[in-house]
Amino acid sequence: MNSERRRLWDLPTRFFHWLLVLLVAAAIITGQLGGNLMVWHGRLGVVLAGLLAFRLAWGFVGSTYARFCQFAPTPSRLRAYLTGQWQGLGHNPLGALSVFALLGLLTVQVSTGLLANDDIAFVGPLYDLIDKELSNQLTSLHHKIGDLLIILIGLHVAAIMFYAHVKKKNLVKPMVTGWHEGEADGESARGGGALALLLALLLAVAALYGASGAWLPEPPPALPAAQVPAW
Amino acid sequence: MKAKALIAVLSLTVAGSALADMKVEDAIKFRQSAYATMGWSMARIKGNVEGAYNKDEVIKAANVIQAIANSGMGALYVPGSDKGKGWAETRVKPELFTDKDGVGKVAMSFNKEANELAKVAATGDAAAVKAQFGKLGAACKACHDDYRGDKK
Repeated sequence: MNSERRRLWDLPTRFFHWLLVLLVAAAIITGQLGGNLMVWHGRLGVVLAGLLAFRLAWGFVGSTYARFCQFAPTPSRLRAYLTGQWQGLGHNPLGALSVFALLGLLTVQVSTGLLANDDIAFVGPLYDLIDKELSNQLTSLHHKIGDLLIILIGLHVAAIMFYAHVKKKNLVKPMVTGWHEGEADGESARGGGALALLLALLLAVAALYGASGAWLPEPPPALPAAQVPAW
Repeated sequence: MKAKALIAVLSLTVAGSALADMKVEDAIKFRQSAYATMGWSMARIKGNVEGAYNKDEVIKAANVIQAIANSGMGALYVPGSDKGKGWAETRVKPELFTDKDGVGKVAMSFNKEANELAKVAATGDAAAVKAQFGKLGAACKACHDDYRGDKK
C-alpha cells in the first residue's frame, strides 16, 4: 500500500470518456426531438461508431487501467469487492460490470441505429444493406436499448454521487486529471504509447468510414425530367 | 351444433359490420396504405430539400400528405382493429383506442403541420419547406412514440 500520486487514466481514455458523454447526450436529445435533427442523430451515430471502435481497441493496446483484462469482473474479484477486500486501482469489479454493459449496449445501439429507419424521413447510413422488415425489427430494438441505456447512465451517475457523498471519494477528478491520489494497491499506469494510439486511431477511422456507408454503391440516378411521364 | 356456430359467427359479423361498416382487415389495409403513401411523399420532399429543389414535385407531394391528413383517417380505427392483419400485422397500441384526448392532440398537430407544409410548398421557398418538413416529421414522431408499438 502506498499513497503517492499515481497515473490512473491515460489521456486517450479521458478524452474518449468526455467525448462519449457529449456525443451520447447529443444523440439522446436529437433522437428524442426528431424532425430535422434526425440528420444530426445519424451523423452522431457514425462518429460514435468510430469512438467506440477506438475504445474497444484501446481496451487491448491502451495503458494499464484502460485494458479490459485489467478490470474484467471475474467472480473472484467480484466476491473480494463485495466482502470489502478489494483495494485496487482503476475500475472496481462492480463498476467494471457497468463499464462492460455500457460499452456493449452502446455498440449494439450504434449498430442497430446505422441500419434503422423511422418510417418518417430518416434511414440509417447502412439501411440499404438489409430489407425493411429487418430494419423495422432493429429499429424497435434500438428504441428498447435506448431506454435501457438511459437507466444505465442514471445508475452510473448515481454510483459516482454515492462515492462522492457517502464514501467521500471523488471519482470525477481522476477522470479529468488522470491522477489517482491516496491509498490503493497498484502501480502507475504503463503502456499505451504512440504506436498503440496510432493503431487504435486507424481502427477508429476504419469504423467511421464503414459506418458512414460512403462505400455503398450509389443508388440509380433519378430519371431526367424529359423521361418522367406526365401522369 | 354446427348450425348454431354458423349462426353465431354470422350474427357477430353482421353486428360487427353494422357497428363499423367496414371489415377490420380492410380498415387496417387502408390505414397502412395511407401511411405508405405519405412515406413516399415524405421521401420525395426530403430528396428535394436535400438535393436539387423542384417546386412542382414538392407541391405534389405536400398536397398528397395534406389530403390524407384531412381525410378523416380516424374513421379507420374501427372497433376491433387494435389487433389484426392488413398488409402486415398492425402495430397500433391499444392506447390509441382509449386515450381519446391524447390521440386528438397528436392528430390535430399532425393536421396543422401538414396543412402548413402544403401552404409553404406553394411558395417554392426551399428553406421554409425544409423547416416545415422537420416540424411535420416531429408531429409524425409524436404519434409513433405514443401510439405505435414495436415491430415483433
